[in-house]
Amino acid sequence: MTDRGLQWFAPFGVDEDLISKVLSEATARGADFADLFFEHRTVRSLGLEDGAVNRAYAGVDLGVGVRVVRGDQTGYAYSEDLSIEAVLQAARTAAAIADGSPKPRTAAFAVQPVANRYPILRPWANVATADKLPMLRELERRAFAADSRIQKVNLSFADSSGAMLVATSDGRLAFDLQPMTVLSLSCTAEHNGRRESGGYNVAARDDFSFYDPSRLDRLVNRAVERTTILFDAVPAPAGEMTVVLGAGSSGILLHEAIGHGLEADFNRKGVSIYADKLGKAIAGPLVTIVDDATLPHARGSINIDDEGNPAGCTELVVGGVLQSFLHDQISAKHYGVAPTGNGRREDFRSQPLPRMRSTYMRPGPHTRDEIIASVKNGIFCDHFANGQVQIGAGDFTFYVRSGWLIEDGKLTRPIKDVNLVGNGPKVLEQIDMVGDDLLIDEGGWTCGKDGQSVPVSQGMPSVRVGKMTVGGRG
Amino acid sequence: MTKHSSEATEKMLAELAEHALGLAARHGAQQAAASVSHVREVEVAWRDGQLERLHEAQSRGLAIEFYVDGRFASVSTSDLRREALEPLVRDGVAMTRALEPDPFRKLADPERYPDPKRALDDSDLQLSDPHYGDLTALQRREQAQALEVAARSVPGADKILSVSTSVSDSQSTVFRCDSQGFRGFRHSTSFWRSAEVSVQDPDGRRPEESDYHGARFLADVFAPELVGKSAAERALQRVGAVKLPSGQRTLLVDARAAGRLVSALLGPMSASSLQQKRSFYSGDVGQLIGSPLLDIRDDPFVVRGFASRYFDGEGMASAPRPLYQAGKVANFFVDTYYGRKLGWPATCGHASNLAWILGNADLEGLMRGVDDGLLVTGFLGGNSNATTGDFSLGIQGFAIRQGKLAEPFGEMNLAGSHLTFWQQLTALGNDPNLLSPLRTPTLVFADAAVAGA
Repeated sequence: MTDRGLQWFAPFGVDEDLISKVLSEATARGADFADLFFEHRTVRSLGLEDGAVNRAYAGVDLGVGVRVVRGDQTGYAYSEDLSIEAVLQAARTAAAIADGSPKPRTAAFAVQPVANRYPILRPWANVATADKLPMLRELERRAFAADSRIQKVNLSFADSSGAMLVATSDGRLAFDLQPMTVLSLSCTAEHNGRRESGGYNVAARDDFSFYDPSRLDRLVNRAVERTTILFDAVPAPAGEMTVVLGAGSSGILLHEAIGHGLEADFNRKGVSIYADKLGKAIAGPLVTIVDDATLPHARGSINIDDEGNPAGCTELVVGGVLQSFLHDQISAKHYGVAPTGNGRREDFRSQPLPRMRSTYMRPGPHTRDEIIASVKNGIFCDHFANGQVQIGAGDFTFYVRSGWLIEDGKLTRPIKDVNLVGNGPKVLEQIDMVGDDLLIDEGGWTCGKDGQSVPVSQGMPSVRVGKMTVGGRG
Repeated sequence: MTKHSSEATEKMLAELAEHALGLAARHGAQQAAASVSHVREVEVAWRDGQLERLHEAQSRGLAIEFYVDGRFASVSTSDLRREALEPLVRDGVAMTRALEPDPFRKLADPERYPDPKRALDDSDLQLSDPHYGDLTALQRREQAQALEVAARSVPGADKILSVSTSVSDSQSTVFRCDSQGFRGFRHSTSFWRSAEVSVQDPDGRRPEESDYHGARFLADVFAPELVGKSAAERALQRVGAVKLPSGQRTLLVDARAAGRLVSALLGPMSASSLQQKRSFYSGDVGQLIGSPLLDIRDDPFVVRGFASRYFDGEGMASAPRPLYQAGKVANFFVDTYYGRKLGWPATCGHASNLAWILGNADLEGLMRGVDDGLLVTGFLGGNSNATTGDFSLGIQGFAIRQGKLAEPFGEMNLAGSHLTFWQQLTALGNDPNLLSPLRTPTLVFADAAVAGA
């Protein structure tokens, strides 16, 4: 063990001897594989409401998850107590999934290479509460100054620093430090007796320097514009029509329409609508979709996944043809392929599952203007709240906070609060124009699956979807 | 867990919380509150003839609220080593001091605390099964298997692609104490059985549906045979789903699905939403929102109820309260902090169990009167705007023709505004969904705006 390696154990107060003993206990009943996931995370947040930064929260999460795998079967236990007795007990509990005798285990650990996609100069532990206050007060002042109709401004700021250590029964040892920060500004405005709320948020695996002047300008301006434009909104239409998705957070379409459906656990079980589509055309030739762990400082980026496997850029769809699922260790073994670095978990209390990282569509040949100009009657959307999908039926929805009517090739009147409904494979076939303006959204997106939340990013160039159901009131 | 070890757990929780309270005072907090929880959870997941996953854990956590020099902050941790608590509290108090003052932050009015005996002993609400711990690993496994066997025994089971089942239980003990003398325990257990079934649709889709049942006491949970069979039937009914035309339709929302609409209706009734101007409510008791049939009471004392309690998150004594009477708002959810900001007396910050004035008919009876309508059995995504009351939600379910269930539909949407939609409420079922604290019956709405083909 190198000096650097020893230093990795420090946040958890454990050593190689403990790890080795626990892995032996975990595999004592004949497992194929076992791993330990140590995690130490500190989270701090501040809130501004009614003119003052008057609330704060700090949290510490420390523990270890023990996983024992036999074939497709998993035993899982965790402990918040990192004494050897407690961790051995967790290992015995997880080992109950197997019922054989121990197999020889690799004695020495090999330290895994880890990328460096979110280096930070100033750790969050060195940023005092008092350093953050002036920024929040200034943002509030500017939001009120931007439009006299603003009645309430709320800000929330969070930073977190996580240390994780993965040790596996096949002798891999991997360590990563994962920073995260999120800043959100929301406001409520009043105009002619009506009230509207809106907001904007930014997130990254970065340090305090992430909040540069241009980002803060955008935060204030977008939050205010996205609120006040709602006063001009007309009711959204109802029924099937052409939908143009603007560059950026429209990537939520990929997340719901195809991303979840390609998570290999659903396909291994045969319950995804994409289960028998590998190597087949599932979208038009303009459509190339990737899930990428490598974007510098992106919220969805990871240096390694939560199983200690390297995480790169996975091509999911190239020229409309389905290339790969998103794998964790169990599904990769099941399919006989290399893991894609998509094994992620919310924390040490949860077992890893195939999950997305930053999912986006590569740019195409069209300009945004020509895409909009091509639509006689339809809607344009570029501001979304949330989405959901049914993996097997393929039906999905995503919620538009605001957008525009397209009439005779022009954006005419704003619309708001409307759900879009589609079916994954049908909508992918309907994407017939792809813009040259790919934008990775800077917002703080969080993906939920089996009760576990993980941070993700998404991106999109402008695209045209020939036909989708728009859920307005008609 | 035996009665003996549960007493040991209670002692450990109380000692830890009192210790945290003492530390907070020593570091300069004029007021403080601490809660400590202990949760045991076990889940057995089964899929297609074999055990898929065993998950078992005991988890503990501590949370502390600090009130220091007119300022407020909170901390939480899973690192309960005594040597880690001191720096957590010291840093927490320092963090509180670095904030700006907030004159509205205080612990709840002690006058509102419940009878101390009731706060410490909630056993007569029957929220914790004394036989928790009797269930063996083998029994859980057999039940998980029985769920699958039942699912695969229904007519049409040859279309089934996969069956995933789960048997889980948990036991939780929470202790809260504060510097004004509040001391309270909450004890609960719950037991769940569920099955999810995927089936092959000839059109290439693989619709999935699930069913589940659960209760505070093991003896009250439906047999695995019942739950598994129902999950498979629900999934097979989804085969051949179509997208129906857009328009105004009579809409039945079944008892299980209706909770989604009701949470969106009740969420903006909180004092925080009202004070922050993020609520479509005017803030006046008596505001007319629904038809006279909309009549809901909050009932925290339901025996074996999923949200039953003698005190709320601040330690205030729970009490039954009307929320809606004949379509009019009767009470808001007022916590201490936002109540003080609004100058309103605190009630309680959150809903507990809802009690509805029910109708006389079951789902079949309600359908009988519908010539051409939709039955919604599930929502998919969508959202509801708390500030304006506008909502737009993905829906799936079945067409209703001449009073009978017809073809399944999917890929459709329901849109409306809470300010007008509830006035279209024309009937309620006699079938409250007791698996959710919202206890919604089937709801019938006239002229709902649906979007589809």
